Amino acid sequence: MTTTKPTMIEFRDVHKYYGDYHALRGITASIRAGEFFSLLGPSGCGKTTLLRTIAGFEGISSGAVLLDGKDMSNVPANKRPTNMVFQSYAIFPHLSVEENVGFGLRRDSRSAADKAKAVAEALEMVGLKGYGKRAAHALSGGQRQRVALARALILKPKVLLLDEPLSALDKKMREQMQVELIRLQRQVGITFVLVTHDQEEALVMSDRIAVMFEGEIAQLADPETLYRRPHSRKVADFIGTMNFLPAKILSEAANVVEVEAPGFGRFALDAGQCMGAATGQGASVGFRPETLTILFEGQQPTDRESMATVEEVVYYGDMTYYDVRLDGTEAPVRISMRNVFGRPVLDIKTRTRVAWSPGALVLFR
Amino acid sequence: MKSPGLRAYAIGYLIFLYAPILLLPVFAFNDSKVIAFPLSGFTTGWFVEMWSDAQLFNALKNSMIISMSTSVLATTFGIFAARATTRFSFPAKGGLIGLIMLPLVLPEMIVAMSLLVVLLAVGVPLSIFTVILGHVLICTPFAVAILSSAFQSLDKSLEEAAYDLGETPLSTFRLIILPLVMPGIISSLLICFTISLDEFIISYFLAGADTVLSAYIYGQFRFPARVPAMLALGTILVLVSITLLTIAEYFRRRGIAKTGGKDTGGFL
Repeated sequence: MTTTKPTMIEFRDVHKYYGDYHALRGITASIRAGEFFSLLGPSGCGKTTLLRTIAGFEGISSGAVLLDGKDMSNVPANKRPTNMVFQSYAIFPHLSVEENVGFGLRRDSRSAADKAKAVAEALEMVGLKGYGKRAAHALSGGQRQRVALARALILKPKVLLLDEPLSALDKKMREQMQVELIRLQRQVGITFVLVTHDQEEALVMSDRIAVMFEGEIAQLADPETLYRRPHSRKVADFIGTMNFLPAKILSEAANVVEVEAPGFGRFALDAGQCMGAATGQGASVGFRPETLTILFEGQQPTDRESMATVEEVVYYGDMTYYDVRLDGTEAPVRISMRNVFGRPVLDIKTRTRVAWSPGALVLFR
Repeated sequence: MKSPGLRAYAIGYLIFLYAPILLLPVFAFNDSKVIAFPLSGFTTGWFVEMWSDAQLFNALKNSMIISMSTSVLATTFGIFAARATTRFSFPAKGGLIGLIMLPLVLPEMIVAMSLLVVLLAVGVPLSIFTVILGHVLICTPFAVAILSSAFQSLDKSLEEAAYDLGETPLSTFRLIILPLVMPGIISSLLICFTISLDEFIISYFLAGADTVLSAYIYGQFRFPARVPAMLALGTILVLVSITLLTIAEYFRRRGIAKTGGKDTGGFL
């Protein structure tokens, strides 16, 4: 994470209405140059609309979108220094691969030979060397994706916009393309803005992520912060799995909050673990499944330990998910354990010790 | 087609449909003025007679002007209407489309009569121009129907992609939209041409002193001696239609193969 990089895209209190529908509700954020930035959220949260305001396909009702310091309100989509990879790829079916990739060079004054060279380079960059003469419609999903990337990158835009580019691919292909996109972004150094509803994809690929709900940015942070210190229960729920237990706040000092929760007892959290202002719905502590550890015979906890009963076991090969009920609690919580060689998978109803650490908890108020 | 009854029905149906057309060439080459079996001998004389008929060529010329103008005009209007209705939404869209499509089900007789009354009242002289007016009116709904489906199957992001890559709306239309809806445009041109060429009522009502092919052929049937020559003309028209449709179908299939689209049947 470099904080010295200049701002490439800036949203200033952007609002967008479709008739009565308030699609974007005061977006203020900036995206840095050279950053891999993701807009993450459920469908209908406004992430695609926000992306399209950068491209110029969508006007805004109020506020401003700045690109490289310039207000874009009077710049049409075909004059903006952005290019887009569409969800459907939007490969021109009547043109060959090289005609598709070279489409944006049509208005370029370079010679035909130079253009052909640029097309060949772009194809090579996305791993499609030698595919130039093929008919675009005869390509597989992954290949179309690459053609769309090459076509968008050939104009060397300041910003590459990706609208759920991997959602049409199968799981294996998607994981492969994720890695390739990261590599490509490092190689070309262009600012990438990705729209996705897949939290895993966002975590894997992004330098920073804006989580959006109902037209607002709920949290903007790097993946680790987002995962470990979500600002709200909603963000925590959307990103990965998080367990919640009801909690009671005993005392609040400047830097330390004293909390009591059934199953955990009393513990102290520092201010950085306490999220948001009081919602009035009561406090709860949240923790990720991998932050709790089932202790096997002879193992000692590094911090605290509680007793629990195994209620459900789901075996995944490399991992086992346990639903355990901590003593003194109503609902089970999920714990994920790596299956280390020589360690048995516990049966349902086994009594077990669970190790945990207050440092891995977050408090929602 | 497992049941023999259904098979017989299908064969009977096809005979009813095509046997009369097959009779055209049979009598066109028959060396007799009487259209009846047994055949009396082979001749190409009727074609020669038809070929030397100056009035016929005049009617044919008029009909060609009318049909070509009609197909181009109706298809152009169709492109505008199909583009507007598939891409934009505006007030009273449904009602407007309904009104555009209405001539499809309106009896041609009524269209012809009302046009005649208006044209006479306004004082426009009847000519092939007024026939074109009437034909455009009845052909446009067909063009809209054919072109709407062509425009509908167009992914909107294709346009946005071209726009995103620096093209203007106009060059996007020319480079992306037009080539992709071209099979629809060709279908529309052909269908409108055929409808206009065939059309009798409006042609008869609105042509004034000009003669068009359909009206001319109908007129010639009053003279039994002229019938074999008209059958010779019919034979040529059948051949021309088959050739045209084959060409159109060839281009349609090639277009589908080129863009990798799914063959949804076309009109053949």
